[in-house]
Amino acid sequence: MEEGRYEKSTACFRFDTELEAYLEGETRPFIAVHAQDCPFCHVLLSDLEQIRQTAREMPLEEPSPVVWANVRARLDAEGVFLQHVSGWRKLLAWRSLPHPVPMGVLAGLVILGSILTMPPRSTQRWDVPEAATTSPATITAPAVSTSQDSALAQLVDELESNYRANEASLAPDLKAIYEKSLVSLDGSIQECLDSLQHEPRNTLAHDYLLTAYTRKAEMLSSALEFEGR
Amino acid sequence: MTGNTAEAEDLAQEAFLQLFRKISTFRGESAFSTWLHRLAVNVVLMHLRKKGLQQVSLDEVDTSQDEPVKRDYGDNDRRLIGSVDRIGLQRAIADLPPGYRTVFVLHDVEGYEHNEIAEIMDCSVGNSKSQLHKARMKLRERLRLDRSLGSATESLPADEQVEEV
Repeated sequence: MEEGRYEKSTACFRFDTELEAYLEGETRPFIAVHAQDCPFCHVLLSDLEQIRQTAREMPLEEPSPVVWANVRARLDAEGVFLQHVSGWRKLLAWRSLPHPVPMGVLAGLVILGSILTMPPRSTQRWDVPEAATTSPATITAPAVSTSQDSALAQLVDELESNYRANEASLAPDLKAIYEKSLVSLDGSIQECLDSLQHEPRNTLAHDYLLTAYTRKAEMLSSALEFEGR
Repeated sequence: MTGNTAEAEDLAQEAFLQLFRKISTFRGESAFSTWLHRLAVNVVLMHLRKKGLQQVSLDEVDTSQDEPVKRDYGDNDRRLIGSVDRIGLQRAIADLPPGYRTVFVLHDVEGYEHNEIAEIMDCSVGNSKSQLHKARMKLRERLRLDRSLGSATESLPADEQVEEV
């Protein structure tokens, strides 16, 4: 059967012109009126609304887990996730630098950062043993400590070596203040180390140890600044 | 936007890698989501340009197929396309030119506003609206064609119908 053909009216032209704005939410009363009168424009409007509705209901697809695994692998290969490790290595490699002040400041910042990124303290009770003060040279990281503790201890030792090398340049009253603080901090560090030797899982003692190291690093950095002037 | 899941996943992967590499270039001049979408869209458009399947401009929405969509006024055009199934629509979207497809997906599927699309696609709001309307008209034309072909196949005697493998 041959299909009948129909003429496009002036109203249909106007409909075509205003349709886009109508679908964008503009008020165009003519569109609804004409769509009631003209079967072609009525069908067009219905079709477009149907398409819009179906599109709106289409689910947004999430990438498969393989995508994330590949992203992770590529970034690993590019070294993105290893930067903090290489940072530690670089810091440890700077021990022989001839400029102790910037190194000290940097080490202090790194230690402070490690404290801030530590997990929250547990509520485990920590019984502080008898106070024990020792010379700085006797303080070493215990075998049970983590590699992070060892790295911190090494950095603090290095800062202290630099401090000792130039302590003669400090004013006597200032030096006395620093020495007093050092004795106090070394006492705290030793207490923590002793406690950890008895209770390796004592997280509170571990937290205190890291805090004491940080304070000592900050103090030594400050002293090194004075020595550098 | 690619019309192909595997390809889309490869490009999603590339977009996230670019995100890690270029995050330092984000200066807060636009919303982060817009910046990220712009980055992703650029990855897709670059990919399509490399494939050379369609001429794709990164700076302006594709206008290479801007001729008005033909409207017939025959008996057939008095019939509704009926309910649009998702698979049919997905297929039709995949066949759209990239510029139309991008604007349609961003607006009608993902729900972006024209001003956001204009920023993502680096074009005017008017251009975005115009491309969207043309995309819908193209989709309608394609869906009507599919329906006509489907009807024609159904009307054939059983022994003349093409068997799908």
